[in-house]
Amino acid sequence: MTVEPLRLRVQFAKRGMARYVSHSEFSRTLMLSARRAGLPLRYSGKYRPRMKLSLSPPLPIGVTSDCELVDFFLEQYVSPAEAEQALGRSLPEGIDVVRCRLMGSDAKPVGKLIDTAAYRVQLPSGAGNEGDWKRAVEVFLSKEVVSLERVQPRRTRVVDLRPGVHTLEARSGASGPGVELFMVLDDGTHGTVKPLEVVTVLADSAGVPAGSWKDALVHREALFVRRGGRLVSPMELGKHRPAV
Amino acid sequence: MSERPTDDLWERIEPLLLRVERPSRYLGCEWNAPRIAGEGINVVLAYPDVYEIGISNLGLVILQEVVNEIQGANCERVYSPWLDMESEMRSSGVPLFSLETHRAVSTYDIFGISIPHELTYTNIVNLIDMAGIPLYAKDRKEGPLVIGGGCGTANPEPLAPFFDLFVLGEGEEVIGLLVELVAEGRLRGWERQELLRKASGISGVYRPSDYEVDYQDNGSIESIRPVDGVPERVRKRTVDLDKWLYPKHPIVPFCEAVHDRINVEIFRGCTRGCRFCQAGMVSRPVRERSVDAVVGLVDTTADRTGHEEVALSSLSSTDYTMIRPVTKKVSWVCEQRRMILSLPSLRMDGFSVGLVSGLGLSGHGSFTFAPEAGTERLRKVINKPISEKDIVDAVLNAVHSGRRRIKLYFMIGLPTETDEDVEAIGRLVFILRDTVRGEGMAPPAFNVSVSTFVPKPHTPFQWVKQENLEFIERKQGILREVLRGRGINLSWHDSRMSTVESLLARGDRRLSGVIEKAWASGCRFDSWSEHFDYSRWEAACEKAEIDPAFYLYREREPDEVFPWEHLDFGVDRDFLYRENQSALKGETSPDCRGGKCLECGACEERGSGLVLTGTWSS
Repeated sequence: MTVEPLRLRVQFAKRGMARYVSHSEFSRTLMLSARRAGLPLRYSGKYRPRMKLSLSPPLPIGVTSDCELVDFFLEQYVSPAEAEQALGRSLPEGIDVVRCRLMGSDAKPVGKLIDTAAYRVQLPSGAGNEGDWKRAVEVFLSKEVVSLERVQPRRTRVVDLRPGVHTLEARSGASGPGVELFMVLDDGTHGTVKPLEVVTVLADSAGVPAGSWKDALVHREALFVRRGGRLVSPMELGKHRPAV
Repeated sequence: MSERPTDDLWERIEPLLLRVERPSRYLGCEWNAPRIAGEGINVVLAYPDVYEIGISNLGLVILQEVVNEIQGANCERVYSPWLDMESEMRSSGVPLFSLETHRAVSTYDIFGISIPHELTYTNIVNLIDMAGIPLYAKDRKEGPLVIGGGCGTANPEPLAPFFDLFVLGEGEEVIGLLVELVAEGRLRGWERQELLRKASGISGVYRPSDYEVDYQDNGSIESIRPVDGVPERVRKRTVDLDKWLYPKHPIVPFCEAVHDRINVEIFRGCTRGCRFCQAGMVSRPVRERSVDAVVGLVDTTADRTGHEEVALSSLSSTDYTMIRPVTKKVSWVCEQRRMILSLPSLRMDGFSVGLVSGLGLSGHGSFTFAPEAGTERLRKVINKPISEKDIVDAVLNAVHSGRRRIKLYFMIGLPTETDEDVEAIGRLVFILRDTVRGEGMAPPAFNVSVSTFVPKPHTPFQWVKQENLEFIERKQGILREVLRGRGINLSWHDSRMSTVESLLARGDRRLSGVIEKAWASGCRFDSWSEHFDYSRWEAACEKAEIDPAFYLYREREPDEVFPWEHLDFGVDRDFLYRENQSALKGETSPDCRGGKCLECGACEERGSGLVLTGTWSS
């Protein structure tokens, strides 16, 4: 009997010092951790075997996260509980396993699946008051087009943020004195809006000077797949379907 | 998370991290990074280059583990902050800090600095300055003992005024003795000077202020006088490799390092006797690690790092007497773990290439060889007498095994070199290309890298003069002419960089002023071509009233007192001079592993230091 190829989908959290680890460094670190954990990983390539894995959309340097998703392609079965334990023992400080699940080989890998991300932005206490931010959010949501100059290493162009912003809300901070912004943004297969791009537009409209919110703490809370009008977690996706 | 010590600078460092490139360089929480208690004797070891290079240095991680295994001692790391980080740190008043606990380096007991090569000297001075420690040893009343170690101690004289101590040779044993001494000093309340005086009594420890240098009117050295009754010469130390099985827990960086792999040393020292090679001379005698120890280290470090590649490292891999059995066993370990085995520093002959190809080690990619010179005559002068047939066989073999890129290293400016020798480099590359074609194969890409020869201390060429820039540039012109062809890429090291390297390599204490002035004028990362600034070095020499020609373009007298005369790295001056004379006659010398002792002096008694695990056959 041939063993059905499997994938191990893992949700990681990236906190503390690990937030200064870049996306490519994070991916490399996970590969080496998976090897240390002794997972039955699948490789491709003849001369220089390359581990097969798929990662959720990149997290900007400095951003913490409760939801970094990775699909490891496996060669044989491993129980998710065992995998979680073994991985947990093999990760550097600041990176932790939240949960694991096994996926069939026909499941779309996370890299091709995720299109939406939820963020929480904790603004420093000196950066404007709740009323200013709330008004700015209202203005933002009432607009049909929100233009922003996106500066990238090779090109700078004007983009419309509005279609990529699904929900946006300002609240007085639960975890600190400053205002908190909550937003659900396009991230992944349909394009990406960065949380600080939204903050830039809001701060501008609220009249909050750029220097005062520069140290805002950005946190990725969750990643989703949009199905109809619903946001579905890739950790839950297809769970209720009968097994293949 | 663990409790942070109170003198932790993290809160001041963190705001800088989002403003610099690759902040992971400054975290210190990599996999296998040690947990530091912070109590007892605190040691911090520095590497004077950027993180990605420093983290690949074996010496530093070995010593870090050795110290951390001593009860009551801690050892952390620090690398040169990149230019962006340096400017952020300076403008916000953050001093040089250790990676693991982010404490100021100035609060440690020992500040060890690795000295890898001459073009890191300004970075070394910068490390001391960023730590907030007085640059010159004579001005230090408190703070850590600033100790240098590594290959650069073969002639540390230009750096001597900046260091309290140097450790000559291998540091595994010495560092433990130094830590013990510092602990004893703390207990007994020794003054700094007393501690330093006692430290200089440890074999292998060199305290520059123990020796005074007198100069003659013509600028050369009259004598190097020991003061305070210290011995005439300080002898370097070596260790038994099977007793020091390190690193056991190599640190795994977040980023890709220059050597992104496990490095397991198979032997130290080399007696091939290439006359230009300082490493081969100062690391003698040859000491091999046993096969079982090598395989054991590969096995455990693979488990502990997860790396996908392991390199068996040494100065010349295929010279390991048990190379077949060891590669066979290690390949087996690799197969189980989907790792690749690589053998850097390959000799250029059919045996080496056959061995590598036969094992099916990463069957494509590039193969690197170092014929060094274009003619058999000149290769005899430098005592690397590879025949043209060996070179052709090696390349054919490599192409047969599927290599599509061949990298060839050559030097120009070697003693006795003529234009013909230079032209022959071009001819050799075309012979290689045509032979491959003649065998009915598509020729690979030839990447020809040409560097400028720099005479180094403790080598048979320590007497010869540096080829001047004009000549080097003319020879580069010849190469540009003769090495035109499809699939041939020619590149060279900046010869002005080699000039600075050469100036410092055989320099004396008077050059410390040049280094300080170059650093003060902004020189950093001199080995990075984009940051190297020759004009600043020229200006620094002028300001320090140093004539570089005296150090560079002067043939030394046979009996000249060298600045490193009092530093005994094993090989005797007489041996080096005999080799120098043989070189000029184009005569080669055999490898002593074959049985004929050349009386180089590296073994305390004839052959006593040589450790081979198998039988030598060249």
